[in-house]
Amino acid sequence: MIAPWTPMRWPDAWTDPSCLDLLQGAAIDYLLIGKGEVLGPVRTRAQQAGLHVTDPDTAPAGVAVVKGEWPGVQMARGGGAAQARGGPTGVPWVDSNGWLIRLESALHPECSIWVDARPAENARIAAGSYLVAVADSASHGGRWILSLDGQLAAGLHAQNPQALDTWKRVTAAAGFFAARKNWPGYSPVGVVGVVSDFAGQNEFFSRELLNLLDRAGQHYRILPKDAATDSSFASLHALIYIDADPPAAALRKQMLTFVETGGILITGPKWGEVPGTPAKADEHPRYSWRALGKGRIALAHEDPDDPYLWANDSVVLVSHRYDLVRFWNGGATGSYYTMAPDRKQAVVHLLFYANRGPDSASVRVAGRFRGVKAWTVDGPLKVEMESQKDAVEVHLPQVSQYVALEVTPAVLRRSHKRVEYHA
Amino acid sequence: MHSNQTRREWLLTTAAGLAGSTLGRAAPAPASPVAVARCKTYTPGELLPAMQKMFDQLGGLERLVKGKTVACKINLTGSPTYRLGYLPLEDTHYTHPQVIAAAAHLMSKAGARRIRILESPWSTADPVEEYLLRANWEPHDILGAAPNVEFENTNYLGRAKKYSRLTVPFGGYIFPAFDLNHSYEDCDVFVSIAKMKEHATAGVTLSMKNCFGMTPCTIYGTGAGVDEPSDVPKGGRTLVHSGNRQPSKSAPAEKDPKTPRVDTWRVPRTVVDLNAARPVHLAIVEGIKTMTGGEGPWIREDLKAVAPGVIVAGLNPVNTDAVCMSVMGFDPMADRGTPPFERCDSTLKLAEEAGLGTRDLNRIEVIGTPIAEARFDFAGMRQRRRSAPVPPMGIRG
Repeated sequence: MIAPWTPMRWPDAWTDPSCLDLLQGAAIDYLLIGKGEVLGPVRTRAQQAGLHVTDPDTAPAGVAVVKGEWPGVQMARGGGAAQARGGPTGVPWVDSNGWLIRLESALHPECSIWVDARPAENARIAAGSYLVAVADSASHGGRWILSLDGQLAAGLHAQNPQALDTWKRVTAAAGFFAARKNWPGYSPVGVVGVVSDFAGQNEFFSRELLNLLDRAGQHYRILPKDAATDSSFASLHALIYIDADPPAAALRKQMLTFVETGGILITGPKWGEVPGTPAKADEHPRYSWRALGKGRIALAHEDPDDPYLWANDSVVLVSHRYDLVRFWNGGATGSYYTMAPDRKQAVVHLLFYANRGPDSASVRVAGRFRGVKAWTVDGPLKVEMESQKDAVEVHLPQVSQYVALEVTPAVLRRSHKRVEYHA
Repeated sequence: MHSNQTRREWLLTTAAGLAGSTLGRAAPAPASPVAVARCKTYTPGELLPAMQKMFDQLGGLERLVKGKTVACKINLTGSPTYRLGYLPLEDTHYTHPQVIAAAAHLMSKAGARRIRILESPWSTADPVEEYLLRANWEPHDILGAAPNVEFENTNYLGRAKKYSRLTVPFGGYIFPAFDLNHSYEDCDVFVSIAKMKEHATAGVTLSMKNCFGMTPCTIYGTGAGVDEPSDVPKGGRTLVHSGNRQPSKSAPAEKDPKTPRVDTWRVPRTVVDLNAARPVHLAIVEGIKTMTGGEGPWIREDLKAVAPGVIVAGLNPVNTDAVCMSVMGFDPMADRGTPPFERCDSTLKLAEEAGLGTRDLNRIEVIGTPIAEARFDFAGMRQRRRSAPVPPMGIRG
């Protein structure tokens, strides 16, 4: 994935070209400016200043624009006070565009992904929420089209100090990611691979599964089934196949080979005839286990109809033992673990979706590392670290909604399908 | 001790004895010895001999567990993603895995046929092992303590085909009986392995309050089914705390829905009902490392991690909790209005009145370390803490 530009939707009310002065020193380099004549002088001066300009309805070549949600904890109004809306188990429900960016990128690897998620009408967005919007997209390799709420736009136009402070924080976040142009090219590190065509009758379920795997804290790789190769499954512990049609013969063979060499396949009745023998320990209420070679197949008793249940079941079927990232005291969290192409550096993006960051969060990252550096969008972050068996635990001080951990893996050695780290 | 009886015989005789009593009766509540030991670390080299000695002081584990199925209710309250600061959960509010492993090891050594580690983890039907991994524990540390150890999640139906109905022999304060996971019936010996802590609703949480978590949230939880139990637990036990609704209709309802709908009234009584329905044969309360100010990091007090370095064990949970309270600097004879029961009823007093055991230290033989030498002043810290302003809270999950 590439992300060469940092886009911004130009507020229609900013007809004065002097508003472009706000962009001085900021990373924003692509403006989506309305077509109206009144914005003509802005358009002209922006182009003279070397900025890229397009109209809001025309995506530049090489850019795919996806319609996203405003990221963060969904709030519900009840009893006169704003309350976090609960998910099925009572935990706060989080909207994130990470899965959507990753899916678009997997389906269109040649494109940059921009996320169109605008503030609700009349919304007043806090600086922290803007940080979440920027970081949620950028950490997953995309770019949020920076879109200001009406009050912030008016405040900036009037040079209101509070608005300027928010702007400073938003542009700092955008600048942080713009300065790390190699990060979007890092590959996701996953525990499971989701194999699907992500289209047609499989579109809803497969997409929602990706979204909910994120919410369940599971790290996954997206594997479009027409692009799967023998190396696609390397380093994964498990594959999920839930398409309504059985896989083609070649793909089926690849996936069963993955199982025979020690992997897990999670699938449903639509898979067709399942090889192997019934496993001895078969206790799951919704799945039967079958042994095949060195691996196992978890066969759902029924066709998939609830992506929430599938996402959460898959985490347990694979086991939390293989969690790549665990949080404590993080609140509504998200994480994305990526590896540089040369495998000499990994970046673990940590997102805290509440309106303020946590005050004493810890995060455990699986693997053996020679070094760990922590960053906020404002600069390096001093953290306490604790080495554990095959993991490092990082204790974060009071932080805002985004932290990046740059980790240097110890010498890497492959063993069957799993990646293991050895000092 | 009931080592020569089967579990059913023991339950029947206990029920008969309790049925013969009435609340507020003149006959004294049972008293058994309680062992106290100093133990500063969870290192097996220190912990195992300390626990072995305590069990020997209580008459030996063999008499209790040989050839028996032993069920151990541990305390893993709250979400495994919730810590007090950066501290591991076992150093503050979870029963420490080394204590669980040591107990299992010693029970196996004493001839236990099977050891089931039971807990109803927060809002999930996942295997307990998976819950432990989320807490950053290694389940094999416990499973490997003996050859016959297994876990069961008791927050739902679990491995059985139906729930077990356990009746409260004295009739119950609130509930006449409970529908519980089969593991609480399918055992010969029941052990409560608790953490020594204060509790926001019940004043203290020790071996008796630990049993509050026996109730499956599929029946007694926020997301419990109305007619039948739900398949999986969702949320906590608001139903029992506040009485805002009844358990699933398939389970016994409250005796009187007009009683106070207040948690500080309901929780202590429900705990006594549960302890009567599922009697505890061995109570172990570990306070080697723990916390002050409440039962978990979500409590809005000035919470502190502490290391009292003490373990208490006894054959009667009321007696054991009474000794624990004294070790904590509280008066086990305290009633509502007196620390730590400023706002709630005393579970110990209610249990004593129900005939479960005495809380009178004059009637309890304390073996091992004298209470005065083991004391860690939770009470003094509570008094100082409560005279200071409430601390601000950040976002902790």
